[in-house]
Amino acid sequence: MLSIILLSIFGIVVLFLGFQKSKNILLPATLLCIAIAFAANFVHWNDAPGLYFKEMLFENRLTMSFSAIVLLSAFLVVALTRGFADDEAAQPAEYYAIILFSLVGAIMMIGFDNLIMLFLGVEILSVSMYVLTGSDKRNLRSNEAALKYFLMGAFATGIMLFGIALLYGATGSFNLTDIRGYVGTNSFSISTLLYVGLLLVLIGMLFKVSAAPFHFWTPDVYDGAPTVFTAFMSTIVKTAGFAAIYRLLSGSFEGIYNFWWFTLAAITILTLVVGNITAVYQQSFKRMMAYSSISHAGYLLLSLTAMTAQTPDAIVFYSLAYSLATVSAFGVLMAVAREKSVQSHENAEDFEAFNGLGKRNPLLAFVLTVSMLSLAGIPLTAGFWGKFFIFGTIVERGNLIWMLIVAILMSAVGIYYYFKVIIATYMKDGETGALRVPPFYRIVLIVSTTLTLLFGLIPKLLS
Amino acid sequence: MLSDFGVIFLFIITAIAFIAVALTIARLVRPHRPNVEKLTTYESGEDPLGNANVQFNGRFYVIALIFVLFEVELVFLFPWATVFGQASLIAQTDGLWGWFALAEMAIFVGILALGLVYAWAKGYLDWVRPQPKLPAVKSSVPADLYGKVNKKYAQKTKSV
Repeated sequence: MLSIILLSIFGIVVLFLGFQKSKNILLPATLLCIAIAFAANFVHWNDAPGLYFKEMLFENRLTMSFSAIVLLSAFLVVALTRGFADDEAAQPAEYYAIILFSLVGAIMMIGFDNLIMLFLGVEILSVSMYVLTGSDKRNLRSNEAALKYFLMGAFATGIMLFGIALLYGATGSFNLTDIRGYVGTNSFSISTLLYVGLLLVLIGMLFKVSAAPFHFWTPDVYDGAPTVFTAFMSTIVKTAGFAAIYRLLSGSFEGIYNFWWFTLAAITILTLVVGNITAVYQQSFKRMMAYSSISHAGYLLLSLTAMTAQTPDAIVFYSLAYSLATVSAFGVLMAVAREKSVQSHENAEDFEAFNGLGKRNPLLAFVLTVSMLSLAGIPLTAGFWGKFFIFGTIVERGNLIWMLIVAILMSAVGIYYYFKVIIATYMKDGETGALRVPPFYRIVLIVSTTLTLLFGLIPKLLS
Repeated sequence: MLSDFGVIFLFIITAIAFIAVALTIARLVRPHRPNVEKLTTYESGEDPLGNANVQFNGRFYVIALIFVLFEVELVFLFPWATVFGQASLIAQTDGLWGWFALAEMAIFVGILALGLVYAWAKGYLDWVRPQPKLPAVKSSVPADLYGKVNKKYAQKTKSV
């Protein structure tokens, strides 16, 4: 919980650091802040679990692991922001401050013990993301994406708030433990309001993680936002969102599993099919990554539908693997697209951007390949073990094998579009001439690729 | 048995019904003699001018945003004030409660004040005044010539 307080203070400090003439201090300062918050996250590791702020927030080793994933991916993404202070109209201090504030929201979502905190966390994270999506002020598509995201997000938040109100009406409490108690004691006379409320809250949360019937905003927003914030969105928002859904379902509503599992199963199947099939038809790498993030939401939902004792570990591992691979994929895209957009402004983010990358910069090509293999779930990468653990939970549940079959078929479809990128990298001829990568990028990419391979070889490392 | 939501729903229905009944009765009872003065939009006694759909200066929004921020702060101050002054809590903690509550509110207000300082230092509060453009005439006659002429003829009329 210390990390929440620290990040809030750091956000204000970074905001005021922006008054300095030199903007170069901002990036290292922000990285330092996130690193300190990362360390502070583990302060209570040995005396967990605990309740904080008058039972508003909860902390155990699981929430700490989720927070650690969020902070790690934030660190890697922020390290990729080098160079966006070059634009004269940009306000780097404000972006960094908003990033730090959004992390506060993410950690609140991960460890809420009160539905009010869930709402507050979702809002802090979402409002920050609306601003960051539109941070490329002169770009029309960035503005459009921000407005779309804001309008749709505001509706989803409204629906979620309505659901929270109904849950309160049914149980008389916002507290997760009290709601669990209500569900446990009145198992034969549960108010209808509780069911409706739970579904509305779930709709709001599934919107935030872009699950299938509520995914329409995702491609446009991911495509329009500046690439670095797309990476931020697809890693941090997703991890925090799934941590929140898990906490809600396991913390309060395990007693009525028979009520919600089928809804979640239907949404899972729809998400997997829509995400994977649509990704096949994309020309732009960023849009493909948007649909691929929808499909990964499907895999994570799969594990939530199973809801066994292994589910939390599976979600943690999968989120970590997915975040690392996504960060490196977007990192390579930024390195390539920046070079390309100088020459011609169009199609800088298409698959063709990667043509001939294998010859131009072997390191980037290798990083991209590993990240694509990890997203596709090929062995020796972290993504394989992520999928393995997720599928393991489904097998453990027993009666949901049909979902497993759909999921495996869909991951086979996934291999097709991930390999399209690898083929473009190695087999197609494109521009020649070495591609220079700034050292900062190189470090981030090497770190995330090494971690992906490390967790792929030794998945037990995280336990 | 009505749930609490049912009671609220009844309240809403009653409110709508009450207004509908009151307006209908008023319509039936009141005399109906409209004139131009009565039918104009009420604007605090001023004559309404022009279209309402005009473009506002963008600076209004910044000021309005900052205003809303402090308005919300005020909303939080009211419930805080009741808890702050609760005699039983103060008695239980030997007056420590008061200091604790005061410090918490000071932190809250302080953070908001920092935000205001930020906006101020960034210059978002500066209301840039429009600079009126005075008409300038390019003339080969030096400006002080007119003054001299005036002075000269003024002396002449005096002497006459």
